Amino acid sequence: MGKRDDVRISLQTLRALEAFLENPSDELSGADVQKRSGLASGTLYPILLRLESAGWFVSRWEAIDPVSAGRPRRRLYRLTPSGLARASEIFASFGRGVPA
Amino acid sequence: MSGQDPSTGVARYLVSRAARKAPPGLSARLEEEWLADLMARQGAFSRLRFGLGCCWATRVIAREFGAVAATAGRSASGQRLLVAYGGGYDFSRFSRRTVALIVIVFLHVAAFYAYLTGATRRIVDGAFPPINGAVLVDHRTLQKPARLPPPKLMTPTFDGLPTPRIPVDLPLDPKTITLTHSALPHVPPIPLQDSKPVRRVVGGPGAGFPDTEDYYPPPARRLGEAGAAAIRVCVDPNGRLTADPEIVQSSGIAQLDGGALRLAKAGSGHYRPTMENGQPVSSCYAFRVRFRLENQ
Repeated sequence: MGKRDDVRISLQTLRALEAFLENPSDELSGADVQKRSGLASGTLYPILLRLESAGWFVSRWEAIDPVSAGRPRRRLYRLTPSGLARASEIFASFGRGVPA
Repeated sequence: MSGQDPSTGVARYLVSRAARKAPPGLSARLEEEWLADLMARQGAFSRLRFGLGCCWATRVIAREFGAVAATAGRSASGQRLLVAYGGGYDFSRFSRRTVALIVIVFLHVAAFYAYLTGATRRIVDGAFPPINGAVLVDHRTLQKPARLPPPKLMTPTFDGLPTPRIPVDLPLDPKTITLTHSALPHVPPIPLQDSKPVRRVVGGPGAGFPDTEDYYPPPARRLGEAGAAAIRVCVDPNGRLTADPEIVQSSGIAQLDGGALRLAKAGSGHYRPTMENGQPVSSCYAFRVRFRLENQ
């Protein structure tokens, strides 16, 4: 598939991952991740795309009716099992642990 | 959207513009995603910052994902992810900002190096030819005046001159000799005290007279010329000049003579008058002005 698995782990990448690790089953939009991590949009969206291309995340459009909801649909991101395992390894190496 | 504030409009414009500049396969998705996230933000400033951030995100995404964009399969959500994450993407080793920074640092280092090694001096000297100064030598000082041969004095001779004849036997004219000894008027004798000798003290440069060094002609000093000139001045009882001073004995150097005359003129009012019997009188007298080099 041509995906690149070697993701450069920067401090900003760790902060984005940390936002997902609070509850790994959650699906978060970019706005949610930004709210949790405090990253700027110019930094956050390239990281999300990079991690998605590397297979750490999957994403889908929010299943709502924009007219009835009164807002546009959002793009939701969720950790994949492999992404969760990789992220857990990284944080475990830092001694941070992963929430159960 | 009719009720939105201007800042939201600007932010939406920034987001849409940024998304359009993204790789074609991602452009539509990013625009919808970013616009939805934009509406989730509260506050004009926050939305403007979000829009600007999207502009920056586009640059990064275009650099990482823009070169090779192809259908790479479907993600779990069923959407196409149009990014093939192969090794052929355009990933510059350095961003343009980094290159600009490197260039600036290099220019500064080059300029500092040129300053330290004197290259700037050579460049300036190449652009502007140096001014060559030359000292003009007055050759008059190199040629000593030739000594004049002693004058040959001729001894006058009176040989052959006619002997003057002085008539002594002149006829007496009785009309011209009318006075007799007895007819001469009586002249009283001159008292002895009137014939007392006059005590005279000749004047000269007095207090406040200018310093000779101030009137040493600079060209003469530079050429090492020295000498003395005698100046004749006429001074009134108040020490002021009554006529232009004049050279009575030249120093042999015209510049020194000129300096002596200027000194004598500048000293007007500071001359010591000639004293006769203790009283200042107008008089003319001469004095010498000597120009001497410091090492002499």
